[in-house]
Amino acid sequence: MSRDFLAVELAPADGFEPRWRSPLERALRDAPPGIRDLSRTGKLHVHGDVGAPPGVEVVRVAPDRALVLCAAADVERVRGELGERVVDMSAALAGLEVRGERLMRRLADLDLDALPAAGAVAHVPATVLRDGDAFRIFFPQEYADHVGAVVLDAAAGLA
Amino acid sequence: MRLPPSPEERIDRSRTVTFFFEGEPIEAYAGDTIGSALFAAGRRVFSRSFKYHRPRGLLCCSGHCPNCLMQVDGAPSVRVCTAPVREGTRVRSQNVLGSLDRDLLAVVDKVGGPFTPVGFYYRTMIRPRRAWPYYERFLRRVAGLGTIDKHARRSSRFDTEHRRAEVLVIGGGPSGLDAARAAARDGRRVVLVDEGLALDAQLPREDGFETIAPARAIGIYEGGLVPVDAGDVLLRFRAERVVVASGAIEQPLLFPGNDLVGVLLPSAVRRLTRLWSLRPGERAVVITADDRGLAAAEDLRRAGTSVARVVDLRTTQPAQMAARGSHGRVRSVSVDGDSVDCDVLVMSGGSQPAYSLLAQAGARVEYDGTRGIFVPRDLPPHVEAVGSAAGEGARGAAAVPAASYRGTESGGRCFVCICEDVTDKDVKRAIAEGFDSIELAKRYTTVTMGPCQGRLCHLPSIRLYARETRAEEATIGTTTARPPWAPVRLGLLAGRGHEPAKRTSLHHRHKELGAQMMWTGEWRRPHSYGDVAAEVRAVHEGVGVIDVSTLGKLLVSGPDAVSFLERLYPNRFGDLKPGRIRYAVLGTDAGRIMDDGTIGRLSERDFYVTTTSTGAETVLAWFEWWNAVWGYDVSVDNVTGALAALNVAGPRSRALLARLTELDVSPDGFGYLDAREARVAGVPCLLLRIGFVGELGYELHFPSPYAEYLWDTLLERGADAGIRPFGLEPQRILRLEKAHVIVGQDTDSESNALDANMSWLVKFDKDDFVGKWALEHVRERGPRERLVGFEMANGTVPPEGGQIVVDGLPAGRVTSARWSDAVGKAIGLAWVPPALADEDSRIEIRVDGRLEPALVRLRPFFDPDDERLRA
Amino acid sequence: MSFLLSCPNCGPRDVNEFAYAGEVTSRPAERPSVRELATYVHFRRNVAGVQQEWWFHRFGCETWFRAERDTRTNAVLATEAAHAEPDGQAAPAEAAVPDVPAV
Ligand code: FES
Ligand SMILES: [Zn+2]
Repeated sequence: MSRDFLAVELAPADGFEPRWRSPLERALRDAPPGIRDLSRTGKLHVHGDVGAPPGVEVVRVAPDRALVLCAAADVERVRGELGERVVDMSAALAGLEVRGERLMRRLADLDLDALPAAGAVAHVPATVLRDGDAFRIFFPQEYADHVGAVVLDAAAGLA
Repeated sequence: MRLPPSPEERIDRSRTVTFFFEGEPIEAYAGDTIGSALFAAGRRVFSRSFKYHRPRGLLCCSGHCPNCLMQVDGAPSVRVCTAPVREGTRVRSQNVLGSLDRDLLAVVDKVGGPFTPVGFYYRTMIRPRRAWPYYERFLRRVAGLGTIDKHARRSSRFDTEHRRAEVLVIGGGPSGLDAARAAARDGRRVVLVDEGLALDAQLPREDGFETIAPARAIGIYEGGLVPVDAGDVLLRFRAERVVVASGAIEQPLLFPGNDLVGVLLPSAVRRLTRLWSLRPGERAVVITADDRGLAAAEDLRRAGTSVARVVDLRTTQPAQMAARGSHGRVRSVSVDGDSVDCDVLVMSGGSQPAYSLLAQAGARVEYDGTRGIFVPRDLPPHVEAVGSAAGEGARGAAAVPAASYRGTESGGRCFVCICEDVTDKDVKRAIAEGFDSIELAKRYTTVTMGPCQGRLCHLPSIRLYARETRAEEATIGTTTARPPWAPVRLGLLAGRGHEPAKRTSLHHRHKELGAQMMWTGEWRRPHSYGDVAAEVRAVHEGVGVIDVSTLGKLLVSGPDAVSFLERLYPNRFGDLKPGRIRYAVLGTDAGRIMDDGTIGRLSERDFYVTTTSTGAETVLAWFEWWNAVWGYDVSVDNVTGALAALNVAGPRSRALLARLTELDVSPDGFGYLDAREARVAGVPCLLLRIGFVGELGYELHFPSPYAEYLWDTLLERGADAGIRPFGLEPQRILRLEKAHVIVGQDTDSESNALDANMSWLVKFDKDDFVGKWALEHVRERGPRERLVGFEMANGTVPPEGGQIVVDGLPAGRVTSARWSDAVGKAIGLAWVPPALADEDSRIEIRVDGRLEPALVRLRPFFDPDDERLRA
Repeated sequence: MSFLLSCPNCGPRDVNEFAYAGEVTSRPAERPSVRELATYVHFRRNVAGVQQEWWFHRFGCETWFRAERDTRTNAVLATEAAHAEPDGQAAPAEAAVPDVPAV
């Protein structure tokens, strides 16, 4: 078997048109600017040594494990390039972007000068990346409503 | 009435603020505190004491004592002497029946006698026992510190912010500032927090370090964790080094009448006169053991209060001292029989280093007999003390030989602890009763346990204790300092009101359909959609669908996958063909059942493992743990959230599926316990033909972002077949009809696979598996109890947990029980003694005190030959 | 409890990010007697002092590691990633049995 049942990017087939829905869609409906839904980012778990094909970001979580991020459209290609021990986690992890160190400090105890890192965000396990003032947070999608509510609440406290 | 403006004052006379006290408007200046504004408006009585309801007035004006606690905008026990005025704030007194000036409960102070000594209610209110609820209600009413409005909504937003600092300085006095500057010069990242009560109105904002004020450190914990109360935000500092510059606390003197309104500590005089330009009174007496009292005398004179007498205890040593008052306010002081009229009495028993934070951090506290104070010693690494917190310049009442003074005549209470209304007599009585250790005496008398947390009573009580027991202070030791060091609102500690909850991708669909949701572990799941019986019927007669996305789902892959799983589970997997599924039970080395689920083989080296809904994380950690030790070449990935899962079950499920997929779903093409990959309604699915609910059924596992789409499509395309969503409760009835076990409900922390009738899956001929030795032992020893089905002779449904009774003694327990329409009986599962674990054995179950008969059943109650399941 | 543990992968973190799995014990290499089995499964030394423990970085890298901790002070003296030891198997404590019905 091929594990195709983990693939998120579908083309319409057999007369059906499956509709994708972000786990954060409802939670971020009233989000202020600066908070973005990144759930559709391609995310792959890779075991063993990881090379870095072009166009991807590699977050090494442990010596033998990494989270690889890429554009949704590239998941299939990157999966192929990364070898055998790869699991498509695009559907497993929700993602969002927030702006500002202060907000991030109200969400996590992580050392913001030492990102990317894996750690608790809003009391759920997460992986956090930083680009200047922007922070990308990836976490199990079943917590999407919870994390969304916490992020909006914390942001409102700083508004 | 204010004094003429001074450059030092903190009030802005050009801006007025109005707030309400007991409903009456009070005018204040910007820069006032509620306390200073009330004082300016003529108020002198600020509270009633805890036990005797004695009038109390401003004592320290520094936020240390219990005397100015009030309800402010509904929040109880706010110290108004430090609470800034805000427009429209509503302030009320607390612990009062009637009004502050005429508190009806003050009768307690008058009747005295049996009602008042310490330990009173331990000794008195225990009989008769049934009267306790009345006593309790009464006590709660008379002894309290404000009331909490239980119906109040969350009025403030609380948050937690995680901060880091190389050096955290607590306290912005001169030594704190020096320490911060020095560390900043060394190139450290320094943060200074200060309570914002300092005389110099504003802390200098300096380059080189960050200052946060008003902000109060409430404890020092392991790992350099210092929570700082910054109003509505709890700053959770992690500091590499903590510098404590918390200063010293002025100490009272013990003499009869030392709690009267008008008795002040020097800081109160300084703050009233300098910050708020207020005259504390007309005529003052000062009794002091240090220079602070002398400075206060100066402040008083400048404010126009005449100072009638100054007693410097370093040079005169009176034998007798007492204050007398009327209506709770000081009127005169007599020292060695010499009485002076006054309305202000300044007392200063020296100052004690504020060491509590240091002691919490692990410092030892030692009595310095020459100075009469406790000083911190042996600080833990990474914590240091500077300034008067370290004992510099602090000096107690060592010069004062008497721990407490007597008055000339009897009467007049001498308070050791004004928070809890404990007098010197109470302490002496406790000692006489044999409470000869300070920790015990503390608990008995409650000295130091009130709102001041020992700031004003710790040192005096230990000195008194030493005198009474003829011991040295140094040998008595101190009571343990515990956080919080300052009062903190529970809301601030609680933070944001969000608990992590897991929701499936169909959560909102369930709500739209009117499901009642329930908790299973961290998950929210539908209990039912309103009609349990109809949902059960739909599965038996047509087709139903249940959201089982909460199932834990793990991918186990690698060349060693078979060896790995065979060593973890008692089952065998080597002979499981790709495309086939096996029920598996995970156990521990104690032989206990830990979790269960199905394992499907996707390919030679790929397995799809499901776990219980609450077990996914535990099982994943368990797998990872054993593999960290064993080192098999496998990888484990938790794809629980990646995949939604639906169980489509019922005699019409096949027909419905056939409309949506090109997969051959015929009984031969897709048999019981087969696994297939195929598209359903265009969505790639892993299909598992398994049947927890006992009817023909398919579990569809597919990418969770398509959950709503596939759910909608199934309901739409199954409408003509009468498809119905069903919840957990119908599922529990359906599985019970099949006697299918729920791990954690029908098994507990003692259950093993053999006693639970799962011996068929335990392969003892394997070399090793987790739990093998324990199960071998169980096999040799024989079962102690067995899990069996039962049906009630009449229709009574016994409670889950109900007792199985044999010869009048408890001999087992019911783990599940429900009424089943399909069986037409009340059925259940129970653990019973092995002797009763035979078909048709009669057992008795206790229901509401009666014994109800039941028959043991070893086969499923419904479709015992699994014909429907395997159809 | 607020002490820091240094995860071999992630560095020092608040103890609340981790799951504690008890003392490091030793799984018998051969079939044990009932008494040896009971000792392995149930008995812990519970020292007041330094002990070897299992920890799992639950909210982070999801890696098991060993820590040497002083139970009196919570000082963590050392941490080390778990490594395979097929013979002398250091075993984990009993896993928690779910206390809510697990469906
Ligand atoms: S007078 Fe307010 S705390 Fe002492
Ligand atoms: Zn880690």
